[in-house]
Amino acid sequence: MTMEHFDDETLMAFADGELDAATSQRLETALEADEALAERLAVFLDTRLAVGSAMKPLIDEPVPEALAASVRRMAEAADAKPASAPENNVLAFERPEPSMPVRNRQPWLIPIAASILAVITGVGGYMSGRGSVEPGASFESTLSAALDREPSGSDVTLGQSEALHIVSSFVDGRGELCREYELKRQNDTTATVACRSNGNWVTRLALSSPRAEGYVPASSQETIDAYLASIEAGEPLAADAEKNALAGKAE
Amino acid sequence: MTNDTPPVPQRLVEFLPNLRRFAISLCHSRELADDLVQAACERAIVAADSFAPDTRFDAWMFRILRNLWIDHLRRARTAGPQEEIEKAYDVSVPSGEAATHARMELMEVATALQKLPEEQREVLVLVCVEELSYRDTADVLSIPIGTVMSRLARARKNLAELTGISLGEKRSSNTKGGVA
Repeated sequence: MTMEHFDDETLMAFADGELDAATSQRLETALEADEALAERLAVFLDTRLAVGSAMKPLIDEPVPEALAASVRRMAEAADAKPASAPENNVLAFERPEPSMPVRNRQPWLIPIAASILAVITGVGGYMSGRGSVEPGASFESTLSAALDREPSGSDVTLGQSEALHIVSSFVDGRGELCREYELKRQNDTTATVACRSNGNWVTRLALSSPRAEGYVPASSQETIDAYLASIEAGEPLAADAEKNALAGKAE
Repeated sequence: MTNDTPPVPQRLVEFLPNLRRFAISLCHSRELADDLVQAACERAIVAADSFAPDTRFDAWMFRILRNLWIDHLRRARTAGPQEEIEKAYDVSVPSGEAATHARMELMEVATALQKLPEEQREVLVLVCVEELSYRDTADVLSIPIGTVMSRLARARKNLAELTGISLGEKRSSNTKGGVA
């Protein structure tokens, strides 16, 4: 009688309690006689135990009060809202229901929203001032063409000193296709969220920060994330979905 | 429309410690983890209708948080090197007092966990920390169960190698204080 071979995944399934009864029985019998097999099994038993002992106690860490309070507020606000229409059920994950007022759901966003307004005003000033350096129309159309065409992750040089980096594409709560991108200039970087409306890219949020080498500072990213949450941005589109969305002008 | 839908928002509040543990295990930074948890809760409340009451709430939440984390990683990657990422790998395990030997061994496991590729870390955490079945793990990650198993086996062999678990040691050594 030849000895049955148990591969690693079978041993692991046994260690994790996922192996069927019949195979488990045969394995147990084999284990009694085969020390090498027992050692191979030990790797899976021990790693489970080790990772568990290292990470499980994290659950006893007190949740920071600010976080807990914020989630409680969200939960209470959600409880207070009327039940939503059943046709939203399927789409809800990708495209959240648009009816819920932002202020009910995310009280923590309000101060941030106020600062966003301030920043947008600032950028408007910049945009109008830029006309003297480069012809505004051609810059706008180059940018718009790049947003229509280029996949997320790509870098495009616009004009002499501006570099476009496209971060992601997503669909907002109203079903518009939006893109997050960064414009890098010599002295600063502007992170922008623009959504396509009737074939035009309309800027929804623009945040300028002094040029830091190659990336948007974390604080700007937080503001952007908060803004994305407020417009109920869906998950970033995967490459294929993005391509289709960009091609289908009438979104 | 179901009338007896369990209240997702209520369950969220109770689930916070669990969700936060999962987030910390994934990203190893408490600050980032708390942001992820907050964002995940928001998504969950907005998408509460898409939660099927007869499925596992934890798996559903893990999936939302994990997708946010992957988005974050992707954004960090396409946006170039980001300080935040490097910092994330520095922040170590619970702020502690005396580093006993037993404690150091645990820290090594936590550190080794962060050295694993993302796809191996997430299966390891879902199965060995959150105790999800292979099937539920496959659902959370939207991958076949066979892929869960092959990644999980690789993850554990790598972890064993990085920490020295089970290599020339008796099994008891990491359950009891064999290392004096």
